[in-house]
Parts: sequence; structure tokens; C-alpha cells
Amino acid sequence: MTLNATEALEREIRIAARPETVFAFFTDPVKLVRWKGIKATLDPRPGGIYRVDINGRDVARGEYLEITPYSRVVFTWGWEGEGSPLPPGASTVEISLIAEGEGTVVRLRHLGLPDDQRGVHAEGWDHFLPRLIASAEGRDPGPDPQAMQHGHTPS
Amino acid sequence: MDLVLRAIAEPRRREILRLLQSTELSSGDIAAHFVDVTRPAISQHLKVLAEAGLVTLRKEGTRRLYQARPEGLAEVRSFLEGFWDAQLQLLKRAAEAEERRTKERDAKRN
Repeated sequence: MTLNATEALEREIRIAARPETVFAFFTDPVKLVRWKGIKATLDPRPGGIYRVDINGRDVARGEYLEITPYSRVVFTWGWEGEGSPLPPGASTVEISLIAEGEGTVVRLRHLGLPDDQRGVHAEGWDHFLPRLIASAEGRDPGPDPQAMQHGHTPS
Repeated sequence: MDLVLRAIAEPRRREILRLLQSTELSSGDIAAHFVDVTRPAISQHLKVLAEAGLVTLRKEGTRRLYQARPEGLAEVRSFLEGFWDAQLQLLKRAAEAEERRTKERDAKRN
């Protein structure tokens, strides 16, 4: 998959905490699992591993590309496993922290996501998406990834 | 979203979408690409894809021609946006709790 800036997914959020507080949530494994996953192995330096076990089954993995204390963290991102539609290294997440008063504006850019056509080409959306929905909602996606196809998919 | 996910969850339907990406085809043309899928099964797959908004149908005389509708997959993308929104909300909650704890600690110290 190639990186294409036009496809970047961008999100922004304001957090009532200083950039140094927020920054640690991307580099300190103990803090990272307070918002993402159940176990994290992080080596926050360029080339260092970024690995987050989301729920005991699904593992997000990548490697840090850039670390600038309290302002910027860039890492590659994907999912481990055979047939992953977004394998480790396939996409890149850029986090920018901008101080604003007592708080922080967090900007997230996710680059290199499958575009529409590659979304169709990618195998494993069926496995990936329902489980991602479950993970994002903090639920255990359960043992059977196929079950979601026939049931209700939360929106 | 549910319809789209279910539609693209089936490998043959993804294969059909691939075929329809660049060209219009009839269900007979599509069936010719598969050695192990019956025509009624192809029609059923096309129905699911059409209901999910992933293919469009055009009638030309007696022929019914299908073509992929890529906008249908925009939903998948908007889903991923929702995923990050949820994640960032969790980050916000955790970071703000941490900030409060830090401030309380500092206040006690002073």
C-alpha cells in the first residue's frame, strides 16, 4: 500500500490536560493501556516497536518513526495476523500535540489507509471491521469473527 | 454500515466487485468468470451488493448490466473515522484523569 496524503484520515480533539501529560499516553505502556488495549510493548524511539494487544486476540503493531517530546509522535500501524487487510507497517499514524491554554489540541492523521478500491481488494475486511468496532467500543469481539456477519453490527 | 460489511464479507462478492470495478457486466458475464458458482447464486450475490449500494444496475434492452459503485465503500471509511473518534475520547478521559491526579499531588506538596 502506498502513502497518499489525499487519503489521510484526520481527526482532532481538545483535551483538558497539558501536552506533557497527553504525550505520555502514546509512549508509556502503563498509560497507553488506560485508553487502548490490555497490554502494550513500547520502545519509544525511531525504529522502536509499538505493539498493543487490544483484547488478547487482536494485536495492533507498528514501529515508531518520530518522537518529539510533548509535540509529535509518528508510528506505523497495522494489525498482526494472516490475511490482515491492514498489516503492520501498512499505514502511518501521526499525532501532533498543540498546547492551548491549560489544555492540548490533539491532531491525528492516519495515512496509507486502503482507499475505496483497495478496500475491495483487501482480504479480511470481514474479520477486521466487526472486531474493530467491538474493540473501539471496549467490548471483547468474541471468539467467532464470522458471527458478526449474521448478527447486528453496531454503528 | 451493516449491509456494506455483510456484502463485502463474502469473498465471492468481493471478487464480483473487482470484476465490476472498471466495466459493466451482465450476470451471465459475471457467472462466466466463476467455475464453481451457479447463476442463481451470482444473482443472489448481485442482489446483496445492490442492496448495500455497492453496485448499480442499468437495463439495456433485455440485458441487465451491473457496475460497481465505489461511493458505497465511503461508509467503511467513515466507520474508521468513528473508530478514531472513539479512541480519542478514551484518550481524553484517561489524560484528563491523569492531569487531575497530577494537580492534586502538586497542590498537596505546596
